[in-house]
Amino acid sequence: MTTPAIELVGVSKWYGGFQALKEINLSIAERERVVVCGPSGSGKSTMIRCVNQLERHQRGDIRIHGRAFGGGARDDEAIRRETGMVFQSFNLFPHMTVLENCTFALTWVKQMPEAEAKRIAMSHLERVRIPEQAAKYPLQLSGGQQQRVAIARALCMQPRIMLFDEPTSALDPEMIKEVLDVMVELAGTGMTMVVVTHEMGFARQVADRVVFMDQGEVVEQAPPEEFFANPRYDRTRMFLSQIL
Amino acid sequence: MAPDHTPAPPLVFTPRPSAPPPPSTVGVMGWLRANLFSSVPNAILTVLGAYILYVFLEAIISWALVNAVWEAPNRRACLDAVGRSGACWPGVIAWLPNLIYGLYPKDQVWRIDLGALLLVLWALPLFLPRVKSKVAIGLTAVLVYPFLVSYLFLGGEKGWLWMGLVAGSLATFFWVWLTAICEMRTGQGFIPLLVRTLAGPDPIPERARLVRQLAWAALFVTALVIVSRWQLVEVPTRLWGGLFLTMVISGIGITFSLPAGVLLALGRRSSMPLIRGFCVAFIELFRSVPLITILFMFNTMLPLFLPVGVEVDRLLRAIVAVCLFAAAYMAEIVRGGLQAIPKGQYEAAAAMGLGYWQSTTLIILPQALKIMIPAIVGNFIGLFKDTTLVSIIGLFDMLSMARAVGEDTRWLGLFIEPFFFITMIYFVFCFAMSQYSMNLERRLGGGQRR
Amino acid sequence: MSSSTSTAPPRASFLNDAGVRAFVYQAAVFLAVTGLLYYLVSNTITNMSQRNMSAGFDFLDVSAGFNIAFTLIPYREGDSYLRVFQVGIANTLLVAVIGIVFATVIGLIVGLARLSTNWLIATLARWYIEVLRNTPLLLQIIAWYFGVFNLLPRPRESMDWGGLFFLNNRGFYMPGPVPQEGFGWTLAALLVAILGAVMLVMWSNRRRRATGRIFPGGMAATALIILLPLAVFYGSGAPLTWDWPALRGFNFVGGISVPPAFCALVVALSIYTSCFIAEIVRAGIQSVAHGQTEAARALGVKPSRTMRFIILPQAMRVIIPPLISQYLNLTKNSSLAIAIGFPDLVSVWMNTSLNQSGRAIPIVAMTMAFYCVVSLAVSGLLNLYNRRMQLTER
Repeated sequence: MTTPAIELVGVSKWYGGFQALKEINLSIAERERVVVCGPSGSGKSTMIRCVNQLERHQRGDIRIHGRAFGGGARDDEAIRRETGMVFQSFNLFPHMTVLENCTFALTWVKQMPEAEAKRIAMSHLERVRIPEQAAKYPLQLSGGQQQRVAIARALCMQPRIMLFDEPTSALDPEMIKEVLDVMVELAGTGMTMVVVTHEMGFARQVADRVVFMDQGEVVEQAPPEEFFANPRYDRTRMFLSQIL
Repeated sequence: MAPDHTPAPPLVFTPRPSAPPPPSTVGVMGWLRANLFSSVPNAILTVLGAYILYVFLEAIISWALVNAVWEAPNRRACLDAVGRSGACWPGVIAWLPNLIYGLYPKDQVWRIDLGALLLVLWALPLFLPRVKSKVAIGLTAVLVYPFLVSYLFLGGEKGWLWMGLVAGSLATFFWVWLTAICEMRTGQGFIPLLVRTLAGPDPIPERARLVRQLAWAALFVTALVIVSRWQLVEVPTRLWGGLFLTMVISGIGITFSLPAGVLLALGRRSSMPLIRGFCVAFIELFRSVPLITILFMFNTMLPLFLPVGVEVDRLLRAIVAVCLFAAAYMAEIVRGGLQAIPKGQYEAAAAMGLGYWQSTTLIILPQALKIMIPAIVGNFIGLFKDTTLVSIIGLFDMLSMARAVGEDTRWLGLFIEPFFFITMIYFVFCFAMSQYSMNLERRLGGGQRR
Repeated sequence: MSSSTSTAPPRASFLNDAGVRAFVYQAAVFLAVTGLLYYLVSNTITNMSQRNMSAGFDFLDVSAGFNIAFTLIPYREGDSYLRVFQVGIANTLLVAVIGIVFATVIGLIVGLARLSTNWLIATLARWYIEVLRNTPLLLQIIAWYFGVFNLLPRPRESMDWGGLFFLNNRGFYMPGPVPQEGFGWTLAALLVAILGAVMLVMWSNRRRRATGRIFPGGMAATALIILLPLAVFYGSGAPLTWDWPALRGFNFVGGISVPPAFCALVVALSIYTSCFIAEIVRAGIQSVAHGQTEAARALGVKPSRTMRFIILPQAMRVIIPPLISQYLNLTKNSSLAIAIGFPDLVSVWMNTSLNQSGRAIPIVAMTMAFYCVVSLAVSGLLNLYNRRMQLTER
């Protein structure tokens, strides 16, 4: 068996005395697309944020393509670079234009010539279908456009894994679709994706697997058809009846 | 759309109990690790900080408490006992009345105490449960109370007008407490209750008005009788001083600056160019020059501005200067508050057919004032601190009094102790106010955060 | 009552005519203000003629005839009042500039300490701020002057730092540089170094854009600015001598010296203002959402660069306007110098000169004009800055 793209082994995380993650075990293969869902406070955001070490876990191992975090800052940085992150609140840099948002890390982290960085950035902006907005500032764009810029910005760094932390939760309903379309398209390219979302339509359409979490644990995981048609746990059924 | 065709009964999910967190992250050790010793540089900083804190506290405690002298006839005795290693508090204790009351005659000091007590009593209903007229009571405490205490503090010959004002003020005080008591016991204000008992539950308007007027007249006459029997010795303002004077100046300053600031701010936002011009000029002038220059200006120029022969009290000159200065700053705070009111509120008020003054006083100002409270308190703190400047133009505020201690032959050269003492007083007042305003800000902000 | 106006439609319509009402209001205010001004001015004229005072500016050429304890620009007893005015302005600006520099540095440090993850450091910073900003500035100035700088040892027992800096109850003394012939080369080298540094930074930016390689341009430029003039200075035979302060009899002579009142004023002003600056810095940095740091971290940007390119540019927009107004406050507060006898503008002009010449009106007007010009100029600049920021934001 090949090494999984992401592997969590007995990962635990506490905030003070509160245990947010309880010995999570999860393995995600390369090119697999996983949707993580669950009620708020179930630990799904914490888990995805641990995967690229925005939060530090306190026990267990997190391995990205077989390499575990915790071997020194420089190594951790290299491992983190395999992942790209998209946030619920976009977190675009408001004082930079859309294009600068995309080229910033290319020039200052990958030390790329500006012309090349711009070329790459434009190609990704085209991919998310907003190349014409490149010269604008983020606050001049709609929420959906901002989130697409954020996706392009993350893609510019050429990550092998994309992490989405509730990418559509802060959007108005009519904007959700334009972001989901971009994500569906991305899924078609064979990118490894972990998506925390409540968009069950998206899960049905593209996910290889749905992971349901509650109270810091993975309750159950299954391919979407099975997950929606025949959930095994009472908790899952309750959640689905509330959300669908 | 719950899956209803499931053959198997569902498994029951029982969340596993929380495991205790790793011991190094919780409890005292965890806290120490996270907050004081998270890294080597942090640990060094902690040790350094602790050392500085120790040196500082040790010095203050041993000087102010451990080595201090509490009883001595004069400073020489203190120096003989502990030298400079300990504080010489007897000097401060001996001067305490002066630090608080200035040179106010000792046998008249009760008038200041009574004035302070009156303020407390006046404001007390604001903190009582089930009192509904809090806004009215609060406003009278700021706008009416000063007339009552002005006579209490000044004393002397009172003309008819002044007596009327003082009596009106005392009548309002009676009204405040009658209202507070009635509302607490019956849930209805004093005057409405009176109207109901005397004119029936559903009176014709004329009768109700008559009862209301009679009630006020009765209150006023009672007050007038009481006031006319008061015979207080005149205490000229040059004897006023200490904390008392500080309070008087800042109190009058804040009382005046609120309405004046509101008017100036409205004027500055007015669409009438002439009014706007005057307000902008006034606000910008008073905000761009230091308070001390305004104090100097009024000190030297106010006598020139007024008709020949009119003597202006030194204290009054300072108060005029402080009031105008505070009004200019308050105007900018009010303007900020008005700007924060969404345009929709103005439009809604206009749509209801309200005129300018109605919409401003009923819709806009109440909302704006609520947002502005923290800034207003901040302004008051500034004003309270700034009153120390009057010592430069020769008034005997707390700062001047503290400096006078060291000029007393018995306590010659005693400087640090009285300064330390009044610093504590200023700090306690300002800190309490700033904490209060921060508290308010947090509470007000909590309701508005998205 | 409000009901009576609404029941009288014809009158209401006249009063509600916005144009008429605006005219009436403005006319009333205009009459009131001009009436008040007329009253004040006519009173003033009568009062002044009775006291034989004059409002003219002719006294400016007259010799002031008093000495000033500390002057930044040359002044001799017997110079004109105009010169006194200039001396006052120079002294005020000197205090303001030095105070602003110290206040900014201290405020920045305390503000960052307030944000420290180290609980003890953050708490210490918090109480530093609380105690100092909740006590009157005048009290602090007087305490520093009478409680510290006046109680220092006499010149003979001066506090001494390496024989270079001396602090005693007469003031603070430090060596003053006296350039000799040939020092111009060093200055020229400094100029060249600054030009070179600018070009270096531009070159390194251009190269980074072209090739992507990052060159530590800032560090190299700093090194150039320091090293080149230093090399030229020693190469040309170190043409600079120092005027050392030295004890002669009861006092120090030579070097650069400032009186204790100056020290007390600068220390008190910078410490007091630093509290407000610290709070501004803290609020500014906290105003940048934490998501910004996270986004940069997720992109793999180094913390130092996150600070420089992401946090600071955004925080500065929040920090600069209130910071400038604190600078203005410090300048205005320097007028408290009068309480400890430092000859700033208010003390030397509005107090001494006014008492000597009796020309209250021109003197008060000139003083106020100075402060007005300073704050109007500064707020003009600030408006310009705000407008530019708004343009780039949206």
